[in-house]
Amino acid sequence: MPMGHTATAEAGSGGLTATEHRLANGLRVVLSEDHLTPVAAVCLWYDVGSRHEVKGRTGLAHLFEHLMFQGSGQVKGNGHFELVQGAGGSLNGTTSFERTNYFETMPTHQLELALWLEADRMGSLLAALDDESMENQRDVVKNERRQRYDNVPYGTAFEKLTALAYPEGHPYHHTPIGSMADLDAATLEDARAFFRTYYAPNNAVLSIVGDIDPEQTLAWVEKYFGSIAGHDGKPAPRDGSLPETIGEQLREVVEEEVPARALMAAYRLPEDGTRACDAADLALTVLGGGESSRLYNRLVRRDRTAVAAGFGLLRLAGAPSLGWLDVKTSGDVEVPVIETAVDEELARFAEEGPTAEEMERAQAQLEREWLDRLGTVAGRADELCRFAVLFGDPQLALTAVQRVLEITAEEVQEVAKARLRPDNRAVLVYEPTVAEEAQETDAADDTDEEAAK
Amino acid sequence: MTELATMEFHPQPQAGEARPWAFPAPERGALGNGLTLLRCHRPGQQVVAVEILLAAPLEAEPQGLDGIATIMARAFTEGTDKHSAEEFAAELERCGATLDAHADHPGVRISLEVPVSRLPKALGLLADALRAPAFEDSEIERLVRNRLDEIPHETANPARRAAKELSRQLFPATSRMSRPRQGTEETVTAIDSAAVRAFYEKHVRPATATAVVVGDLTGVDLDALLADTLGAWTGSQAEARPVPPITADDTGRVIIVDRPGAVQTQLLIGRIGADRHDRVWPAQVLGTYCLGGTLTSRLDRVLREEKGYTYGVRAFGQVLRSAPDGTGAAMLAISGSVDTPNTGPALDDLWKVLRTLAAEGLTDAERDIAVQNLVGVAPLKYETAGAVAGTLADQVEQHLPDDFQATLYQQLAATGTVEATAAAVSAFPVDRLVTVLVGDAAQIEEPVRALGIGEVSVVAAE
Repeated sequence: MPMGHTATAEAGSGGLTATEHRLANGLRVVLSEDHLTPVAAVCLWYDVGSRHEVKGRTGLAHLFEHLMFQGSGQVKGNGHFELVQGAGGSLNGTTSFERTNYFETMPTHQLELALWLEADRMGSLLAALDDESMENQRDVVKNERRQRYDNVPYGTAFEKLTALAYPEGHPYHHTPIGSMADLDAATLEDARAFFRTYYAPNNAVLSIVGDIDPEQTLAWVEKYFGSIAGHDGKPAPRDGSLPETIGEQLREVVEEEVPARALMAAYRLPEDGTRACDAADLALTVLGGGESSRLYNRLVRRDRTAVAAGFGLLRLAGAPSLGWLDVKTSGDVEVPVIETAVDEELARFAEEGPTAEEMERAQAQLEREWLDRLGTVAGRADELCRFAVLFGDPQLALTAVQRVLEITAEEVQEVAKARLRPDNRAVLVYEPTVAEEAQETDAADDTDEEAAK
Repeated sequence: MTELATMEFHPQPQAGEARPWAFPAPERGALGNGLTLLRCHRPGQQVVAVEILLAAPLEAEPQGLDGIATIMARAFTEGTDKHSAEEFAAELERCGATLDAHADHPGVRISLEVPVSRLPKALGLLADALRAPAFEDSEIERLVRNRLDEIPHETANPARRAAKELSRQLFPATSRMSRPRQGTEETVTAIDSAAVRAFYEKHVRPATATAVVVGDLTGVDLDALLADTLGAWTGSQAEARPVPPITADDTGRVIIVDRPGAVQTQLLIGRIGADRHDRVWPAQVLGTYCLGGTLTSRLDRVLREEKGYTYGVRAFGQVLRSAPDGTGAAMLAISGSVDTPNTGPALDDLWKVLRTLAAEGLTDAERDIAVQNLVGVAPLKYETAGAVAGTLADQVEQHLPDDFQATLYQQLAATGTVEATAAAVSAFPVDRLVTVLVGDAAQIEEPVRALGIGEVSVVAAE
């Protein structure tokens, strides 16, 4: 295979290795040593995300993630945050469609504390979970939703496009933040049942990366996690598979108070973990990654019809991935002008495929992104968990960049031809509503700058 | 109702023995053309970070051309004497590099990140950009137009809108700091390629520039590489530029930027205060962290974890511009967003937190946790080359010694509770805070007036 473009001898893995272990209760453990900096990352992926939620309870996985920071059997109140931060560590948790992760990066000598804390909430969260934290975090999450989605222009585009791209009733039809109504409806009993169903050692992968002694680390893992009972109570997730293409163009026009017209679209693409998905990643990079991409050159540089234009890839393993187009128009340019240009570029790309130079650029960019991700112990720990949970093999994280570099121009063209078509996308068009004449309550304070539109 | 857990519990483990870590010390030098150079070898960091500082501050922008430093910064990557704009972008991305350039009050910053194996080529492109930028008419026109298109997006963003209003409120109209960093519609429209070139010729030269190079430099002959690239850049000698003092009106008052229908109110409450040259800085960092550095700090303990009014409120100090003589300043602020109906109660609680802090001070336990966090996270925070390069470049930009950050950690550890309290209280005095609220005036104006935290005025969003 031609791999002439690689930037490092090991093509991104930097000679890293990882070992795998399994406790009797089913907890999978991945260890990777790196003694360059006296830090250790702990990452715990639970195989549960918004795709496991049921109708009427959207947002529960994420709300539950917040509750995991409200104390557990031996940890009072905000102790998870206080103890980690007081030990010079950093921590957080995130929820996506397919998983929920919790992570701490610690100075090496505080690693044991992070393991003790994660084990405590895995084994005894319900000893601390009460109405007070439920009501409080419900309000916090509703404010998170307002801040990140409802109170910003185009903030709900992701939610709207996802709902268009995956049919009603599909496990990925709704996004992890959930609806306000469902957040209001969630009960303490829902949260308890969610924990009992999904938070089990045999539904999780724990990775520990950095300045560690593997033998000592495994002994700690056994000590703290070993007595937590596993169970088989997790129902099989709903099937997320769909036909390869949508077969028609789905479309929604949103009239809202936004600063400019926008064309957004989601293309149905191959599942994560396949060569075709890596090929799609390269296709989207050539077409819409960075400032030398075909769409950027066409819309921003030459036609000058857009202020920003790009493609992104939402990799998903349990359902088709999504290729994410986002174009904000320049000045008074109308959306059909943009759409015609996008369709022309995609058709031309499907016809010609990428040039050798475009392949080189796209592979160099994706390789650097991998180097960035694997360049920190926390990034490496997260990737090891990702490949272990989604694809059953953490070692795949260390060879991911090689796989991207092995993709051929023919494969990129093939996926573009098959998938980047108008009849395989959901389109969201934003048309700004004419804002009502703003009331100038304090005209004296209104200088040119604020009056400028 | 609790549930008995079946797991075997163990006592909380004690920390092991800490392995020493120190903020890296750079090696300082200069190229023949006068360019200041800081280098720092970081084993294992395959992505090298290069930071360039240019002494082209915003206050040097010609009158009526606010935003020209931004346009110049962006134009560096839009073609040189060797490559067209499209070719330049393509060549950079072929290296797997990212290159960001932006203009701020102290000067223009350019950040390059690239895998070490492609550093020579990327440094060559960067040197071309600095030495011989094309500044073609058509590319500058495009950048101007693009910048104009961005302005309405920023105005529509509550956090950006709040920041713009706070600057306008705090600083005198004659100060560059009172006006948007990237210019207004009127000033950006007036920018053309001749003006950009004139600004470049007047303010960009190697003698007043600094390069910071950080990463795994094993096997890299950096001296030879720099001689061939940034060393080929020529220019006249440096002339010291006087730095105007920073003044601000922090009379306690409230400005509501009306955004009808907003479901949340964006808060930005600020004033100016000490920068890193001031002896109070370590105590101010500590006190500010205790007030609002994280979700277990005083503000979030009430506003988020008790009341649920917000996803998070943070207090911070951000240097605006520093001067060698210590006349610089930092923006000290509290920011976050709260749901519209709870805007009055949230501000009421926020002021109570500040008053309680002033009346009762911080506890020793709070101070200890803050020190342990601020000092303890350093090795995590500076794991990447980019993070180290950024801090080293900040130090140069702020006229600080190269060991400032390393020393700061010792000072933080030596700062007591009383000093931290005093610094936090004088950083955020309840009657000297300018409060900007971007939200629905019809719903929040009355409750905010009732709080008595200063005169309330309302301005339109656009």
